[in-house]
Amino acid sequence: MNFNYTDEQQLLSDSVERFVAENYDLEARKKIVDGEPGFSREHWRSMAELGWLALPFAEADGGFGGTQVETMILMESFGKGLVVEPYVASIVLGGGALRRGGSKALKEKLMPGVIDGSVQLAFAYAEEQARFDLEDVVTAAKADGDGFVINGAKSVVQNAATATHIVVSARTSGGQVDTNGITLFLVDAKADGIERYDYPTVDGLRASEVKFKNVRVGKDAVLGDVGKGFEILNAVANDGILALSAEAVGAMEVLYKDTVAYTQERQQFGHPLSDFQVLQHRMVEMFMEYEQCKSLLYRATMETANDSPTAQRTIHALKHLVGRAGIFVAENAVQLHGGMGMTEELRIGHYFKRIVVIDSVFGNTDHHLKKFAA
Amino acid sequence: MDIDLSPDDLKFRAEVREFLSSSAYKPGADYGKWRDEWFAKAKAKGGWDVPKWPKEFGGPGWTPTQHYIWEQETAQATLPWDMPFGIGMLAPILMGYGSKEQQERFLPDIRARKVNWCQGYSEPGAGSDLASLKTKAVLSEDGKYYTVNGTKIWTTAAHMADWIFCLTRTQDTGVRQEGITFLLFPMKQPGIEVKPIITLGGAHSVNTVYITDVKVPVENRIGEEGKGWTYAKGLLQHERTGLAGISRSLVALEKLKEHAASVKRGNATLMDEPAFRAKVAALEVDLMALEFTELRSLAAAAKGGALGPESSIMKLKGTEIQQRIAKLTVEAGGIYAAGWGMPIGAKFARGGMASYLASRAYTIYGGASEVQKDVIAKNVLGIRSSQK
Repeated sequence: MNFNYTDEQQLLSDSVERFVAENYDLEARKKIVDGEPGFSREHWRSMAELGWLALPFAEADGGFGGTQVETMILMESFGKGLVVEPYVASIVLGGGALRRGGSKALKEKLMPGVIDGSVQLAFAYAEEQARFDLEDVVTAAKADGDGFVINGAKSVVQNAATATHIVVSARTSGGQVDTNGITLFLVDAKADGIERYDYPTVDGLRASEVKFKNVRVGKDAVLGDVGKGFEILNAVANDGILALSAEAVGAMEVLYKDTVAYTQERQQFGHPLSDFQVLQHRMVEMFMEYEQCKSLLYRATMETANDSPTAQRTIHALKHLVGRAGIFVAENAVQLHGGMGMTEELRIGHYFKRIVVIDSVFGNTDHHLKKFAA
Repeated sequence: MDIDLSPDDLKFRAEVREFLSSSAYKPGADYGKWRDEWFAKAKAKGGWDVPKWPKEFGGPGWTPTQHYIWEQETAQATLPWDMPFGIGMLAPILMGYGSKEQQERFLPDIRARKVNWCQGYSEPGAGSDLASLKTKAVLSEDGKYYTVNGTKIWTTAAHMADWIFCLTRTQDTGVRQEGITFLLFPMKQPGIEVKPIITLGGAHSVNTVYITDVKVPVENRIGEEGKGWTYAKGLLQHERTGLAGISRSLVALEKLKEHAASVKRGNATLMDEPAFRAKVAALEVDLMALEFTELRSLAAAAKGGALGPESSIMKLKGTEIQQRIAKLTVEAGGIYAAGWGMPIGAKFARGGMASYLASRAYTIYGGASEVQKDVIAKNVLGIRSSQK
């Protein structure tokens, strides 16, 4: 058992920290978020050059051969800057499905592009009636000739507007909530029959409602086996939870540290706010919740990387705690900043919004507590 | 970063399991004899009788992972009765600040569990504000002994103790942390009176200790006169880490689940009731996180040498978790919560109330939770307060 980074992991951590410090102050981020396409293509190229887009992929596929631990290191630092480039959508989720389920031919065709950044992916799994249940899939794919025809609708699909390809979960057999009978397809984003409603989300990212109307795909678009997509879907969702939790932990660190700094500067009643014990104790609680989240993040990430039999349960525990503790930290950061915490001017509010959105993705705090206790 | 136990660690775990099962108490055996033998066998394993002592004082010199394994394995086993005051609290002070003579004089008896110690810190007027203590020690004109007068309170096991390590005031400089002197003296002597305090759970473990004109030779002073606060502060860190009780909580949580699952509710059990189940689950999540917080702090300590203020997190969160488990056990007892030890209701419910009542002390002793938060605010968050 070992909590130290390897030399390579330390280098990765240093270089991401540097990138975030140099490129992601609030002003710079605002410019990126307000412009089109909602992220910086220049940063995306830098991330490819730095090798980050290759991190989780096998060396045989041209990747770096990293595990969830490397992704965690990267995402924790991204969380400190609220990085908006579509790393999770394209590399962790879309890329995660492709590396797990893609045929040799499909990987040979797309992986080089994913890794050099020219191919971007989106992961369309959520449906309105499903709430947080991955297996609740109404979108249907019917066998037709030597391929399939997909019909249905997916919600809050991140990065759909700029993705070149969309990974979509669809039902090929079974009832609405059966885990069997779900198939994953990799669809060209420009395919006939795809309609999008694009919108910015409250955290500064971009998403779309995506409709599939008689979208035709070939057999070669299937990721994994027909009807057996749930296992991949669930593994990808787990990777997503780990990545978003790492991002949340990075954001929580900024939130509690900014609050400690602010309350020491801000004078009221003739004292810095930090003189008041009631505020000191609140900040100590914020700090402890952050540390507890970080501990569980380490645990869930390492268990997943090691294929531990307890990993799934620990992931539920993690997402529950990140929701509960993350929102506690974020809400109190705003509270202790007073009126200034409500403004766009300070970064606190932006971190707050990201934390709240993270709780709504891949199952919120109650959803995962229920799964954990099941 | 890697969570796997190395082959060496797995070997160690097997060795620990082997030791614990081969040395386990056999019903009917003479308890005192078994206890002595157990500690002797543990000592022969290379310091397993004093797991936390450093190697140069005869401890095993384990890695953080080995300590973790030991904690996990021993939590499920029945170890001989032991007291933390000598082994866990005074010994580190002696090792850090005691003279060579004092180490040779006191450590062997502490290790052999021959001498029971108690801790003379709190006073009627000095609880959370420990530095305001007033028990007076006056040095004789010939400089050979102190005369001690005062009252100590909440002294755990004072009625069973042979010796006390005691904070006394030798000077009033105006700065309360200065002028405190750390003295050791025997409990069984004229001038010392121990009066029991019965706590909410009905138990007698704490006492008031009245000290009247007790003479303590200067050889029994740890370190310098007036520097006792510095030594005691170091000890508090040791005490607080020990109070988190994570492994014990893991075992207690499993018991709680078993008990709740034995309470029938229609065709299901109490564990199937969503509100109860959610409370148990949230508690388990916090405990899982704390297990890794402890590992992270042990790993940091192994790198940096000393236990840091992180130990305060452990005490705060660890005691709160122990209290939640105790409370849920009472809840699981339902209507039988009212009984405490009476032969009514489910067997598990009988001890539940007494444990719960006793558990309310966990967030008070060893530095109340509010004091721990002050410590973290100052030492970890770096907040310098102009008020105090």
